[in-house]
Amino acid sequence: MRVRVTEYLDLAIPERRWSCNRCGRDLGPAERPYKEGCLIANRDPREVHPVLAADEEFNFSFDPEWVRLVEFYCPGCGTMVENEYLPPGHPLTWDIDLDLDAFERTHREVPEDTTSPTVP
Amino acid sequence: MSLMDRIKLHEGLVYDRHPYGKAPGRDPELLTRGIEPPSELELEGMEQMSLLELEVFQHKMTSIVEEARDVYMALSISEGIITGDMNASVFTPEGDPAVVATGIYFHTLLNYGQVKYVMKYYRDDPTVGLQDGDVYFFNDPTCGGVHTFDMFVTAPIFYKGVLVGWAEVGGHQGECGSISPGGFSPRATTRWEEGLHIHGMRIADGWELRRDILDFMLNSVRNPFVFASDLKARVATCKRIRDRVLRECERRGAAGVAGGLRKILAVSGELSRQRISKINDGIYRCVLFNDGVGQESGLVRLPTTVIKQGDEMVVINQGVSPENDKGPQHCTWHLMRASMGVYLFTYFFRGLAPNIGLLEPIKVLVEGPSVANCGAEVAHGEGTTISAMNVQNLHVIGSKMLFDSEHRLSVSAPFSRNLMIYVYSGTNSYGYRTANFTGTQNLAGQGARFDLDGEHASGFYWASVTDAGEVEESDTRLPVVTLARTIDKDFHGFGMHRGGVPSVEISSAPKAGCQLTTRGASDRLSHNPGIFGGYAGPPNPRFVIRGADVFRQMQSGAQDLVLTQYNLARNRPLEGDYHFDYSSKATEDFAEGDLFIDSAGGGGGYGDVLERAPESVMDDLRDQIISADVARDVYRVVFDEELLTVDVAATDAERQAARQDRLSRGKPFDAFVEEWSQLRPSEDKLTYYGSWPEPNVDSYTKPFWGQFE
Repeated sequence: MRVRVTEYLDLAIPERRWSCNRCGRDLGPAERPYKEGCLIANRDPREVHPVLAADEEFNFSFDPEWVRLVEFYCPGCGTMVENEYLPPGHPLTWDIDLDLDAFERTHREVPEDTTSPTVP
Repeated sequence: MSLMDRIKLHEGLVYDRHPYGKAPGRDPELLTRGIEPPSELELEGMEQMSLLELEVFQHKMTSIVEEARDVYMALSISEGIITGDMNASVFTPEGDPAVVATGIYFHTLLNYGQVKYVMKYYRDDPTVGLQDGDVYFFNDPTCGGVHTFDMFVTAPIFYKGVLVGWAEVGGHQGECGSISPGGFSPRATTRWEEGLHIHGMRIADGWELRRDILDFMLNSVRNPFVFASDLKARVATCKRIRDRVLRECERRGAAGVAGGLRKILAVSGELSRQRISKINDGIYRCVLFNDGVGQESGLVRLPTTVIKQGDEMVVINQGVSPENDKGPQHCTWHLMRASMGVYLFTYFFRGLAPNIGLLEPIKVLVEGPSVANCGAEVAHGEGTTISAMNVQNLHVIGSKMLFDSEHRLSVSAPFSRNLMIYVYSGTNSYGYRTANFTGTQNLAGQGARFDLDGEHASGFYWASVTDAGEVEESDTRLPVVTLARTIDKDFHGFGMHRGGVPSVEISSAPKAGCQLTTRGASDRLSHNPGIFGGYAGPPNPRFVIRGADVFRQMQSGAQDLVLTQYNLARNRPLEGDYHFDYSSKATEDFAEGDLFIDSAGGGGGYGDVLERAPESVMDDLRDQIISADVARDVYRVVFDEELLTVDVAATDAERQAARQDRLSRGKPFDAFVEEWSQLRPSEDKLTYYGSWPEPNVDSYTKPFWGQFE
């Protein structure tokens, strides 16, 4: 069974593997960060965020000496699964580290929810 | 095994309390002890009240504080209060916030410390005491407040001699006698530069303000007329709350009201646990960085780790940059905790009544001494910069927690926190001295949602349900002339769903001139992350044009003058000296014609830009919130630039090519880390950071941060 955990991540149980929600490509064991199964790029943020004030130190875009745009792609379909804005060389973020025993227990007990979200 | 066993806190630092101790007027233990156990009176009332009756009671109490909010906003003449940077609430007799109005939630998740101080130290002190009609004032950030410019009053509510609760009202007054007019003092380095500090002082007997106390306060600030007027508005509003609650006492008796308030907290705690228990257990993380400390630029780190297990959560800030002596961006333990309410109440606990009971299952561990849990002597005025970074982290984490739950509707990128605050001071049109910011702070962009774009010009970061007010009115109250408010271009986070755009305010000094102090963060980076591949909202530095010929051009009937941030920054259509600056600037004088370009920043995006519907990209172009460059180069849409029609087949091919580009430039994890780990910011950027990359660890080489077990 595959459970959709984020916009782009599925988690298969009992296999305990991450996969891409869009193409199904395996992204590695769920005991480890899914980012280890992605392709990763270190980009100059100005490639995405327009510089409004040309030749100015402060210009409404990011300063690439202070922060880099780190993009994580699904190696199967090239979907950008996640990104981070980090100072150059700063360690990455292990953002989702699930208790897989509890996860498996919970999701085996209830059928997969295919309905639209409900208003609380 | 407890997930907490995987967390190893650093030795020699504090996490569950402040790094400072007791002092006259200050008892930090009161700030960390949590909700008081029910008193006998409260227990009696709790037993009497059924859950159905509690619903009726809670609704009534909520209507009382919502009415108080309207009363306070209507009576005030402070810009911050009028536009909603305020709150009103009812506390339990023991001093815990039980019913909170819409507004700044964290205001009333804070002020329990001062009320409990009165209960513990003054109530039975013969030189002070506690009686009906007493009113206490407080604004000291180390005693339970925010910063000195957020000022509150509280009054006990006695019914037939029995204490049944407290009324509390306050908000962003602004001017407080600090070194910069209007409160925010971005160059302050100690608390002694931040003006009036009052821990909790009785200012009224029998609802009458004491003349000697009032004179002392008015003599301590630059705007005595505004200060006095707002203080009286606050006291009047407190009295309104008290009068309304007493009517409820007539119906329910003292025990009924006191017990009802306490039962609201107990039930809220249970509802909070129920909500938390439905979320996947695990460890979740997010990190943000700041690019300045006040007087100087420099990287500062604020990481957030959330451990969710069963029906409890632990929020940990570990690996925080140390205190510095160069500015006011220092937060207190209690402000870090209270600020979380801004996200939790609005999104995470959506649908549950906001009060401190919801925080009962949440343990807070903030590393100190650090910029997030600081000592008493440093400057605290922009502690909210640090606590907001935690709130943004929590928002990202919360969205990742809630996606696989029945509360997916709350999944979104964070609200904009890149607010650049311009504090204007001088003499206004009415002829009195004033100092404050304008309502444009309430026009920030919302983060994109899991199913929708973010709203434009949506609200204030700390109080999303706010209004910016009318510029004609703020122009009379403040020494500034507003020329334009505009939804601006290329100033939000892109994504499958895009972030909301702020309204940018363009204004000038009036004929008599004015002074301006600015505070901000995120000048070279952003505090508005996107989510699930959505891009962040952009940085928001200070932008001023001195000596602009705008009035001359307007007088000459210039028809093609477009007053937008995008046009002014890109094309420089006005003569004048253009200044794009670091946001934390000391007070300066400005003259008529000098232009100020100000906004609260744009929200982050949600999801991959290549999944945004091409027609929605064209809508963004028609709405002039993106440029053709962004449509073409970021969203990779092929379109007719004159007709704005999409070439569907060419767009599909272009986006497929973009995906191939990603697969070509992306590196496998090990290869990426090998190159990435060789990088490091230059030393001048790390002056205030602590050890690189983990501020409290001498050497750290793991590819993911925060792995200390």
